[in-house]
Amino acid sequence: MENKNKYWKGLEELNNDPKFVAAKKNEFAQGIPLEEVLTDSDGEMQSNRRDFLKYFGFSISAVALAACNNIPVKNAIPYVVKPENITPGVPNWYATTCGACSTGCSILVKTREGRPVKIEGNADSPVFKGGVCATGHASLLGLYDNERLKAPRKEANESTWDVVDADITKALSSAKNIRIVSGTITSPSTKKIISEFTAKYPSTKVVGYEAISYAALIEANKRAFGKAVVPSYNFDKAKVIVSFGADFLGTWISPVEYTKAWAKNRKAEDKKMSRHLHFESNLSLTGSNADYRFPIKPSMEGAVLLSIYNKVAVATGAPTFSVPTIEVALNSIDLTAKELLAAKGQSLVVSGSNNLDNQLLVAAINGLLGNIGTTVDLDNYSNQVSGDDANFEAFVAEMESGAVDAVIFYNTNPAYSYYNADKFKNALKKVGTRITTNSSTDETGELCNYQTPDNHYLESWNDAEPKVGYFGLTQPTISNVFNTRQVQESLLKWAGNKTDVYSYIKNNWQSSILMAGEEAWNKALHDGFYIAAPKAVSTASSAPLASDIASKVTVNYTTNKNNTEIKLYSKIGLGDGTHANNPWLQELPDPISKVCWDNYLTIGKVTADQFNLKEGDVVTLKAGKTTIEGLPVLIQPGQANSTIGLAMGYGKSKGKVASNFGNGLGKNAFSLVGFENGTFTYNTANGVSLTKTDDGYELAQTQTHHTIEGRNLLREASLDEYIKNPSAGNNDHAHIISLWEEHDSKGHKWGMAIDMNACTGCGACVVSCSAENNVPVVGRKEILNSREMHWIRIDRYYSFKNLATGKPSTKEKEYNDKNNKIDFEHVTVMHQPMMCQHCGHAPCETVCPVLATVHSSEGLNQMTYNRCVGTRYCANNCPYKVRRFNWFKYRENDQFDFHFNNDLGRMVINPDVTVRSRGVMEKCSFCVQRIQASKLKAKIENRKMVDGDVKTACQQSCPADALVFGDMNDPNSEISKLFKNERKYVLLEEYNVQPSVGYMTKIRNVNEPIAGEQKAPAKHDEKHKAAEHAHS
Amino acid sequence: MSYESPIRDLLVTGGKTYSDITTEITRPIENKPSKAWWLGFGLSTIVLAIWIFSTTYTMVVGLGAWGLNKTVGWAFDITNFVFWVGIGHAGTLISAVLLLFRQKWRMSINRSAEAMTIFAVICAASFILSHMGRPWVAYWPIPLPNAFGSLWVNFNSPLVWDVFAISTYFSVSLVFWYVGLIPDIATVRDRATSKARKFWYGFFAMGWNGSTKVWHRYEVISLILAAISTPLVLSVHSIVSMDFATSLVPGWHTTIFPPYFVAGAIFSGFGMVLTLLVVAREVLNYKDYITSEHLDAMCRVVMLTGTLVGLAYITEFFVAAYSGVEYEQYAFLNRAFGPYGWSYWIMMGCNLVAPQVFWSKWARTTPWFIFIMSIIVNIGMWFERFVIIVTSLHRDFLPSSWSMYTPTIVEFAILLGSFGLFFFLFFLFMKFLPSINMSELKSIVKTKHALELEKHYTELLNNNHKMPQHAHETKGDSVHGH
Repeated sequence: MENKNKYWKGLEELNNDPKFVAAKKNEFAQGIPLEEVLTDSDGEMQSNRRDFLKYFGFSISAVALAACNNIPVKNAIPYVVKPENITPGVPNWYATTCGACSTGCSILVKTREGRPVKIEGNADSPVFKGGVCATGHASLLGLYDNERLKAPRKEANESTWDVVDADITKALSSAKNIRIVSGTITSPSTKKIISEFTAKYPSTKVVGYEAISYAALIEANKRAFGKAVVPSYNFDKAKVIVSFGADFLGTWISPVEYTKAWAKNRKAEDKKMSRHLHFESNLSLTGSNADYRFPIKPSMEGAVLLSIYNKVAVATGAPTFSVPTIEVALNSIDLTAKELLAAKGQSLVVSGSNNLDNQLLVAAINGLLGNIGTTVDLDNYSNQVSGDDANFEAFVAEMESGAVDAVIFYNTNPAYSYYNADKFKNALKKVGTRITTNSSTDETGELCNYQTPDNHYLESWNDAEPKVGYFGLTQPTISNVFNTRQVQESLLKWAGNKTDVYSYIKNNWQSSILMAGEEAWNKALHDGFYIAAPKAVSTASSAPLASDIASKVTVNYTTNKNNTEIKLYSKIGLGDGTHANNPWLQELPDPISKVCWDNYLTIGKVTADQFNLKEGDVVTLKAGKTTIEGLPVLIQPGQANSTIGLAMGYGKSKGKVASNFGNGLGKNAFSLVGFENGTFTYNTANGVSLTKTDDGYELAQTQTHHTIEGRNLLREASLDEYIKNPSAGNNDHAHIISLWEEHDSKGHKWGMAIDMNACTGCGACVVSCSAENNVPVVGRKEILNSREMHWIRIDRYYSFKNLATGKPSTKEKEYNDKNNKIDFEHVTVMHQPMMCQHCGHAPCETVCPVLATVHSSEGLNQMTYNRCVGTRYCANNCPYKVRRFNWFKYRENDQFDFHFNNDLGRMVINPDVTVRSRGVMEKCSFCVQRIQASKLKAKIENRKMVDGDVKTACQQSCPADALVFGDMNDPNSEISKLFKNERKYVLLEEYNVQPSVGYMTKIRNVNEPIAGEQKAPAKHDEKHKAAEHAHS
Repeated sequence: MSYESPIRDLLVTGGKTYSDITTEITRPIENKPSKAWWLGFGLSTIVLAIWIFSTTYTMVVGLGAWGLNKTVGWAFDITNFVFWVGIGHAGTLISAVLLLFRQKWRMSINRSAEAMTIFAVICAASFILSHMGRPWVAYWPIPLPNAFGSLWVNFNSPLVWDVFAISTYFSVSLVFWYVGLIPDIATVRDRATSKARKFWYGFFAMGWNGSTKVWHRYEVISLILAAISTPLVLSVHSIVSMDFATSLVPGWHTTIFPPYFVAGAIFSGFGMVLTLLVVAREVLNYKDYITSEHLDAMCRVVMLTGTLVGLAYITEFFVAAYSGVEYEQYAFLNRAFGPYGWSYWIMMGCNLVAPQVFWSKWARTTPWFIFIMSIIVNIGMWFERFVIIVTSLHRDFLPSSWSMYTPTIVEFAILLGSFGLFFFLFFLFMKFLPSINMSELKSIVKTKHALELEKHYTELLNNNHKMPQHAHETKGDSVHGH
């Protein structure tokens, strides 16, 4: 079929011109410059037409496929002009001072793209040493509280600053009597600003008001030593610490500082530890960590103190007083006096009481023992707390009489926390101009005609002098979220001073603190604190006690001997209720009772039996004229008999979270506060009665079984035993045979050591972890369902004493048996932090059907949320029960209207950590995002990682340095050394899951043996070797 | 060749002829359903609606709708799952194992037992789905080639073994059941009067023509499938038990679990078969096909397996005590005397003690009593799984995490609803498919003629003791056609 006719394209073809023949092979006469177009400039990539078509086709289909995907549009607006110092994805850190309470710890604030996402301690600070308490961590969330006032208010209506300023200035200039009611002010610049304000309005007086007052302590020091101050306490210098209800590890004055100092002196490896004796009514965090704890009634405190005073006085040749013989168990008075006398000048007695007599006795004992100038520093004193109760009483009377015509409330909420709130409210109504600077409408704000909301401290310029000579600077870490203005600026404005706060503070620092120029200021700003030369510490002996003190304490003791007494306390986290609207703090379990979201009566078992009460009963409490209805009962081991504890800071009527959406959350216990001898008293024995109601109420506890059931998971020894044998109490090790291949452990192998001797159980790590890892808040109902989401928890175990056998009893069956004589008053407590143990042979990993939880090459047990299908098998198979399941969608869900349910609240989310979806498992990741960040940093700096590069969130915040994280493959790392320590053990060793978390035996400085008879180590070794031989 | 014990009573009574069998068994299919059927079907549809609602609710709201918590990660969900898988077991046992052992008494009950198996496995599968945190990705544990790169399943995980075990079990059971149905479907097809019925039954009869060739194929495939199914009887529940046995939870970590679970499964499966058949023979008037002889045999199995599981319960206790592991010891003491002790004693009472009444012949042959007993057995076996799962989980190693589990109304609704699903399917089955295997039954029926022959032979036998008895063989050969 071939065509026989031929047509030539031209003569060239006919002639078979070689040029033409060559050109004919090309399809295009000119050729297409595809090569050049598609070839990389390096000329490495060779492409041709087919490749071009491939790329073309791929691009078209890729674009088409990408367009198919229905991804919801989320607008992330990029920076048009990149702000200086902000690189997306790279955090900025600011050194500042915590404003959560007046303690003024030095902190670092991590910001991401301009928003603060985490608070950490400033490790450079010689006072606070990098610790932050739970409240401090949680105060970050206060910044993103969408209930904060969004603008100033005039008569409850939103207004503008101009209008409000004009009104207030007018009112102030015509006012005859102005009062500023304020909480503790440690800021030198604020004090100066107030004095400027006072200069402008000379009728101004500052009334100090603290809901939890330290007035007696200050007054006692004034009378005893002539210095009306709160001393600085050097717990690290004390060999013997005796505390009378001072919860110095938890809530008393400066807990982070004290925990650091206390823990420093309790390291078993030093072979010497301070001895800590504790007298108290409620079981406090500090009491739970004491070597000896003696439960006493509040009314006994004076008599006990006087008895001890007498013994010390006899030994030191001071006058004694007559005191009735007191029945306190365990020979506590003799023991305490003996210990104190043995450590003269190196002992410390503190009391949390706001009773002047008690504080005078404490001052006298410290004076006799020569502790002033060593453990008690009256010269470099503390500004962190205050109290001027009598003055406040006078102020309320003044208001009642109508003499006050303008009042400014700063950082205080007496309409909630004053014991006679109705009286206060009525009196306040008589004041013409009522201004509050509180950042949300609280109980006091409701009654004010002007609300001029203060900034959050993370938005403010400020300074602090928590201790004499230790200055802290506060700098803003975000521009104002709402139209708020800091108090300092308001006061300056009202005083007619137009200087902005920043300049004011800077000038003040440069002229009166730093006495230096720009460079010193910049350094102070960079460091976040500045330390002036300390004052010389002077020793002092106390002024002699007044002779009537004996009769006063005796009367107090004898009249209340048979009465039931109430002892109010403040809870860790919640404190006086200022932060009650913070869901992180509400969800933080109480370190002792493990109850969240409530306050309740803590009653000892003996007393509860007397009142015929059991846990979950609801009672009506009457004390004097005060009646509180609907209080749930918690049977609290360690509670002194005939005493009842109740936490302050609850029962708020304002704040969505604080009031449980208006349904009420706990009861306000401030109405039980008394006013006696010029101070507020936080205990009462005045006609206390309990009436059981028919109601029941379940408290939301994260731990519902409270003893270890005799299991060998808590190991402890006495100091003497430890000195004799460093592995005392820790000789019971399993001989392991494994069928499994060991994991390859090249490179890093992360692990954590937890020193149970240091851990106080304060819970700072829990909140820190929640903030770092976006752990959702689930609320009371879900806690009741045992579905809390915390990645780290602190297990608290009690051990009771069987009085018949003298042996400890930890088995429920045993101590619930009525035939056994169990001492529920003297209880031993153990705190055990628990998080994912990152097992080498992780039981969770083998059972996951979809490999959603796998082992990393660095020994981490990792969770791949995206892969998880939610069978929960891993959680079932986890022997430590650290896995947490997302039972619901916890964000954008009205059932969980906490901070994850609004845009502002979600600003706290750490962008480095995934927010988990419904139906997936989650757990501690050892802060893998921090490990990665540190690795990248080391890589950029072209170096190997060094020990301490990575600090997990829990470790970073720990005020007791109980947690150590590091690389177990690095022989020089701290963790490697700790893992070789004789005190180290792992939980459930016999199951050979090979946890990466090691625990260190708890060593108690007590005289009695704890670990008991030890197996001879030599024999143990032999057995070990023999077994190894048999297997090799 | 089969051997039949001469003293055994007739397997089909009432002197049924082949035509009797066909008409009686196809009667529910060819006639309008009875009032009793409508009542049962209506009731189970309502309960099914509860299941649909409560399962949907769970999937919309999240697993928080249930009472599970950080400590107890499985409770009603897996209890129900294991319960239903266990129920399914009797079907396979009856149809496969008894077929291989030539236990002809199984022929009247195997069809419904197999149907029960399939529906029970469907119920069980529904719990696999609904217990997942993210049921929309429930296919992930299946080793499918995927677009995620090297993402694969974890062959170490017993849950993946479950996936294989259950899906194999389900598919084999389904095929076995369907193959067994083909001759009967063909019978229905042949008798059909309406076009639709002719079409559908014709479609599912797959061209069955009753020729020797298809009968031969049918026999062979039945035997092959029976051989495949038999190990499944052991494997499925062994593997389900490994969900527990391979973990390290005290109370789960027990090597006795596979045989113990298989025995339990047969126990509960027979319990359920009894429940169904006692009712079915009453309602459908199948007393001549499902005789008291059948009930008797099944009751013996129930008693045997009940005693076996009872032995396992006691063995577990002994092993825990003997092991010297305090966690194991505590788990078992807590099981019997802890806060959930009541459930343990329900289990013991229902599974070990109650079946001992079947030593009595009266108990084994009295339908109403058997019905009550079968319910008790099922309650007991449900509680067995509850006891194993909940009492082991709620108090394990660290006392700090001990907690209590309280089911919510949603979980009760799903449990109840799963029975709705089961009976919904079962009622449909009874209406649309022959619930007794007609073709097989015809092989064992003794027609009037055969009986007369037998009588004749017996007389002869009595007259002449050397006379061999082979009436059955004669008849059997004629029916089988080869």
